[in-house]
Amino acid sequence: MKKDILALFAVFLLLAVLVNGTRIQSVEEYYLLHLDDITPESETVTLSIRCDTALAARDDLDPALRDADVLPADGVILPPTQYVLRAGDSVFDILRRAVRSRRIQMEYQGADRSAFGSVYVQGIGYLYEFSCGPLSGWMYRVDGVFPQYGCSNYLLHDGQTVEWLYTCDLGRDVGCAWKVGKLN
Amino acid sequence: MNAFAAYHPTVLLTYFLSVLVVSMFALHPVLQAAALLGGLVFCALLQSRRRTAADLAFYLPLFLLIAVTNPLFSHNGVTPLFFLNGNPVTLEALLYGVQIALMLVGVLFWCKCYSKVMTTDKFLYLFGRVIPKLALVLSMALRFLPLFLRRAREVRRAQKTLGLLAAKSRVDRIRGEMRVFLAVISWSLEHAMALSSAMKARGYGLKGRTQFSLFRFTPGDGVLLGVSLALFGLTLAGMATGATRFAYYPRLTAPPASPLGLLALCAFAVLCALPAILEGKEWLTWSFCKSKI
Repeated sequence: MKKDILALFAVFLLLAVLVNGTRIQSVEEYYLLHLDDITPESETVTLSIRCDTALAARDDLDPALRDADVLPADGVILPPTQYVLRAGDSVFDILRRAVRSRRIQMEYQGADRSAFGSVYVQGIGYLYEFSCGPLSGWMYRVDGVFPQYGCSNYLLHDGQTVEWLYTCDLGRDVGCAWKVGKLN
Repeated sequence: MNAFAAYHPTVLLTYFLSVLVVSMFALHPVLQAAALLGGLVFCALLQSRRRTAADLAFYLPLFLLIAVTNPLFSHNGVTPLFFLNGNPVTLEALLYGVQIALMLVGVLFWCKCYSKVMTTDKFLYLFGRVIPKLALVLSMALRFLPLFLRRAREVRRAQKTLGLLAAKSRVDRIRGEMRVFLAVISWSLEHAMALSSAMKARGYGLKGRTQFSLFRFTPGDGVLLGVSLALFGLTLAGMATGATRFAYYPRLTAPPASPLGLLALCAFAVLCALPAILEGKEWLTWSFCKSKI
């Protein structure tokens, strides 16, 4: 009987940890996000999200996405918008805040589950990796340069411009030049 | 004995393969529901009511578990229900989970029916001469689990008479079950080796060896083979042309209803209902004959 009580206690502990670690929010509650107001002295970055390449390669696009008609016709998921930069914000932090305030769907893989030690963005606005051919996915560009490393490791500075671009060809169609053997 | 099991092994194998192929690859909810319902009815016809109830009690929690797991890991879909740790749990992901659960439980039921109808002798009759080694291994693998469960029951009973499973504590009882499990594992592996050498000693796979069971291909078999192949072909045509296409992400979408799509759905529903139909026909004939006596 002693062992039984011990086992029961262990199960109870496990459940408590599980319940403690989950946080359930209603849809309204989640989207009720107050963005920092932009004041003259606050540091800001500009963020935009575009998917023109997926619209251009309509034939390669996943038929389910074509039928559902969820992509914007002009390819602009988020027009260039200024966001307040908090200390230590990475590209991913800004993206996350922006999609939450704009009610844009986003799915990502946490840093602990990725081989690069960084968050990996799988899909934005229902447009996912591999939705438009085997070489498609989301990339980001800061001030015209593709950093070539994880978006949660890139710390931003005041006045920088971040663009999230959907590629159908491993970056070549959005102007990313790969250097063999060395990252640029 | 089941009316369906009396057909020629070739017919039975073709039938099971066609149902399984469609239910494993189709995404349309109607196809999945037809497969699950057909498999469930067929399974209920093959076994006792108590056994079916026990199966349902096992498969229902499994169904729910699979259905609930998908939305926890997939956050695609236009209708968020609520947010879990900052990730949306969407209606589409939940429905997709239900579809996966339908598929899995349906396929499990059909496999159960397969193992009851396609007995080892039928399988060896079909493949024993063409691919003797693979056929033996496959038939042993397919029989492994049912045999394992039966042996586990035997070992447990024997252990009980020895007073080893009588402990009140749940932990001790689980440890007792572990012991039974280990014993049955080694027994099964040993038996597999003994079986293969016994089959070898009896000249299995040699030239000129006859079969244990003999089956004749009758005109009735031909009719059933033709009917099931035709229905399977119609379903495949619907799937290949995209008429039965169905997508869950990001929104539930299906192409507008077309004659071919409807025909494919009906064809597969009839295909899944075939065993029940045949059984019903046999039952009607039997009651008609009885009434004349």
